[in-house]
Amino acid sequence: MLDWTFITHYAPFFVRGSEMTLFISAFGIILAIAVGLVCAGVEIARIPVLRQIVRVYIELSRNTPLLVQLYFLYFGLPKLGVVWSAEQCAIVGLGFLGGSYMAEAMRGGLETIPNVQRESAYVLGFNTWQTLSRVVIPQAVSTSIPGIVANVIFLIKESSVVSAIALADVMYMAKDLIGMYYSTYESLFMLVVAYLIILLPISLFGTWLERRFDYERR
Amino acid sequence: MTDMQQPSLRVAHLVKQYANADKPVLNDISFEVPHGKVFVIVGPSGSGKSTLLRTIAGLEPIQGGTISLNGEVIETGRPGTESAGRSKRSSALRTRVGMVFQSYDLFPNKTVLGNITLAPTLVQKRDKTEVEKEAVALLERVGLVDRKDSWPHELSGGQRQRVAICRALILHPEVLLFDEVTAALDPEMVREVLDVMLELADQGQTMLIVTHEMQFARAIADQVILLEDGGIVEQSDDAERFFTHPRTERARQFLRTFEFDRHRASGDAIGQ
Amino acid sequence: MNGAEILLQPGVFPRLLQGLWVTVWIAGVSVALSVPVGLIVGWLMTMRNPVIRLLTRVYLDFIRIMPQLALLFIAFYGFARAWNWNLDATGACVFVFVLWGGAELGDLVRGALESISNAQYESAYVLGLGPWQTFTRVILPQALRRLLPASVNLATRIVKTTSLAVLLGVVEVIKVGQQIIDANRFQYPTGTLWIYGVIFFMYFIVCWPLSIVARRLEKRWSHD
Repeated sequence: MLDWTFITHYAPFFVRGSEMTLFISAFGIILAIAVGLVCAGVEIARIPVLRQIVRVYIELSRNTPLLVQLYFLYFGLPKLGVVWSAEQCAIVGLGFLGGSYMAEAMRGGLETIPNVQRESAYVLGFNTWQTLSRVVIPQAVSTSIPGIVANVIFLIKESSVVSAIALADVMYMAKDLIGMYYSTYESLFMLVVAYLIILLPISLFGTWLERRFDYERR
Repeated sequence: MTDMQQPSLRVAHLVKQYANADKPVLNDISFEVPHGKVFVIVGPSGSGKSTLLRTIAGLEPIQGGTISLNGEVIETGRPGTESAGRSKRSSALRTRVGMVFQSYDLFPNKTVLGNITLAPTLVQKRDKTEVEKEAVALLERVGLVDRKDSWPHELSGGQRQRVAICRALILHPEVLLFDEVTAALDPEMVREVLDVMLELADQGQTMLIVTHEMQFARAIADQVILLEDGGIVEQSDDAERFFTHPRTERARQFLRTFEFDRHRASGDAIGQ
Repeated sequence: MNGAEILLQPGVFPRLLQGLWVTVWIAGVSVALSVPVGLIVGWLMTMRNPVIRLLTRVYLDFIRIMPQLALLFIAFYGFARAWNWNLDATGACVFVFVLWGGAELGDLVRGALESISNAQYESAYVLGLGPWQTFTRVILPQALRRLLPASVNLATRIVKTTSLAVLLGVVEVIKVGQQIIDANRFQYPTGTLWIYGVIFFMYFIVCWPLSIVARRLEKRWSHD
């Protein structure tokens, strides 16, 4: 049913596509985590004006599609004199989208820590920094991990959209091969396999990480 | 450092008022806890017992009166702090008042030993090996030395509370506060925690206990107060007398709610 | 800022709104069809039959791990050829979104059904309610409370994902925007910025109220 010579011949295309997917995703995720940390920090510290800005950003980012964000960055911004390469647009787009999701995951993780933990630390004489570094943050890391891992997978999946601004990722390769050779099944097969190879290990690693950091279940 | 002439803990004219509340939760509360004595606070729910302990621990700022430790004023009431967070008292001062909470509050990211040794090494800057030796000795006393490397989630509620007591004791607090520490425990685990507290009483640890266990209160208390609606209804230096012959009608009524007389003369069931 | 006048050109805004209507229509139909699919999938997932469990599990995991764009390609190019379906781009979108929404909703239904404690079933039984009465009067109302906020959230996600339809050639809001940009390329060179900006806010205006509703429902019902 499948033409295996075609598959072996064009598999390297998908390896290159996967490299692009991973490259864009990795930098996008790092940016998203950085943006998320800053936003979560601003919200927790209740910094006046910045807090409102963060709220607006989170709402904008969560309620618009990545594709439109990318089109705006790639086709719209140059009209303002800001010319970014497709790679830069893709990374900034993923960071813009993912930042809000990461911020919510981190804030959610922090909010699940019962107040009595902070009170115990206070009664034992810990100062604010000791309470944060020894009690709150270690627990917040473990409670935010499920959300962060889910966001990592979400962002890698979303990165498939960057093919729309001509970045040669996995999705782009499949589209190209279908267009050029009309070998639909083989291309779609390799597309599915490529995404499974990328995402399954991360998904399993995430489950393991969740267990590893879950103080209740360990 | 401890002056035996002074009471260990003195609360004078304490007022606790929350923002947006028309009347104070605690109004003009005064009492003294002498050295080495066990002071028990009883009262119906909502009477302000837990809030009183929380103000002494510094978890809630007070709006009037003073709290003193060995003659030294550690907290002075100031109006306008109704919606403020915790009291601003220093770390060193906080280690002098220990507290055990109702909910199991061990740090889930530390082992049993880690929970106990964290504060003395971090806050009191004591030597780690010395602290660990003392922690093991404390665990020995509460019968949990074999669990020193366990994680909190591996322990039962009663075991966690015993570890929490060790965690408070290792700081050598002048007063130890217990906020309904057995209320969230299964009945068969209550005993093991109460036994530890009875032993501490025998060793002369000054304690202030809020509890619903009247039998236990009667067994452990040197002095008692009955709190209701934020005020002291009855205060007694003779705990045994309070439980057997309370002076006030209100106290009599309160104590009676814990007793069940034989309800019916014969054993027949309702509706037969 | 020059170039903004493109938005005031006759026909531009109405055309964009027509495009938005296509987007909302695809999303709306998909959500509406996802509900019955989700209920059935969720019910299947609570069954004890190992084969059904395995099949629903594989279905859910596959849908979840694949990017939606990949699913769209599989449906549009793959299924259409394999079964000689005359599946147009809009049909492929609705098909994929229903499969996806059904899987996600199914998992929510399963979670909601399983979260209801056994004591509820037992109380209903002891009070003499029949199985159907128990389900409709006791279990379903409680499950719906847990289900509704998440379903509204899912609707938001489906609206956002509908943007991918343009990549299959559906003439929805983004495609309309591109046509307008192309037609005015020389008259309004900076039109790109404005048109994509407007589309960005159009999506926001559709999705934001949904997010707010979902959050309100979550807050109100999280206490019981």
